[in-house]
Amino acid sequence: MPAPGGLPWWGMMREIGAIRVAHVDLTPHAGREASALLWLDESEQVQWRRFLYPGPRRRFALCRAVLRSLLCRQLGCANTQLNFGYGCHGKPFAVIGNHPAPISFNVSHSDRRGLIAYAPQGKLGVDVEEYDLRRDMELLIGTVFGPSERADLAQLHGHHKVRLFYKLWTIKEALIKATGAGFSCDVAKFEVPPALRQGTTGTFTFPQHPTKEWRVEYLGNEAFAGSIAYEAGSDAGGNDG
Amino acid sequence: MPSTADRLQNLIAENLEVDGKPVSTPVDMNSSLTAIGVASMDVVAFARLIQQEFSVQLAPEQCTELATLTQLAEFIDANS
Repeated sequence: MPAPGGLPWWGMMREIGAIRVAHVDLTPHAGREASALLWLDESEQVQWRRFLYPGPRRRFALCRAVLRSLLCRQLGCANTQLNFGYGCHGKPFAVIGNHPAPISFNVSHSDRRGLIAYAPQGKLGVDVEEYDLRRDMELLIGTVFGPSERADLAQLHGHHKVRLFYKLWTIKEALIKATGAGFSCDVAKFEVPPALRQGTTGTFTFPQHPTKEWRVEYLGNEAFAGSIAYEAGSDAGGNDG
Repeated sequence: MPSTADRLQNLIAENLEVDGKPVSTPVDMNSSLTAIGVASMDVVAFARLIQQEFSVQLAPEQCTELATLTQLAEFIDANS
């Protein structure tokens, strides 16, 4: 994909076994968006036009174009051969010639930052959030977190609280995106394990599916919160997740 | 008594932002939260606000699955 201005606006950010995580710069840039639109098929361009505001429109176009570029490279197909299907809760999957393609992927974006995770196989989910200090955290804390998570948050103040809030949120959203359930799963009904709240990697099992283990890696830093979750035991994450 | 659609518009005006700016209302009732570009975190919070405002059980997923704001208002009227 052309990189207007000669500067790359997306690139690889992390490798975890066979999983790759790409970072996409979603800063407003008319040239990039024009280039990206050329990668979108007709239905995606209709979807792009439906957005009421330029920010969401831009984030959709840039992330979908980079996703198409990455998937075409991985699958060895032309952009025109690549289509997308959607699971019952809206999670997209790649389709070539009316058949699901052998690749797993997930996309997240927040403000000026996008993450795209992909692997040859295995379910995975990714979430990124830029820290928003104006957000009503208390409403969400009472809605999406369990008792011990709320207790941990209650002990913190200022940016420490903001950091943990976004960390827990991205871990939860990455997990429900990985399963494909999305927000049909009530995220208040499970808690991020204490070890994972304090560290950056760990495992997780949903209370209702105790035999299925997921690995989680926290990708966040000073600028943003981000997490990836993937099936433990699949080849996706290898042994170093 | 304001209609459900009017109350929804008020909730949107008072609580939803895109890129740090309030969503302009009235929003076309044939549009959707997805088309507005509401972030997932805000959808969850908005679902909670709808529950409180209308005393209705509404999962965050339903906020985006319902194709239009009109359908969301109809769901609220049918279930509150």
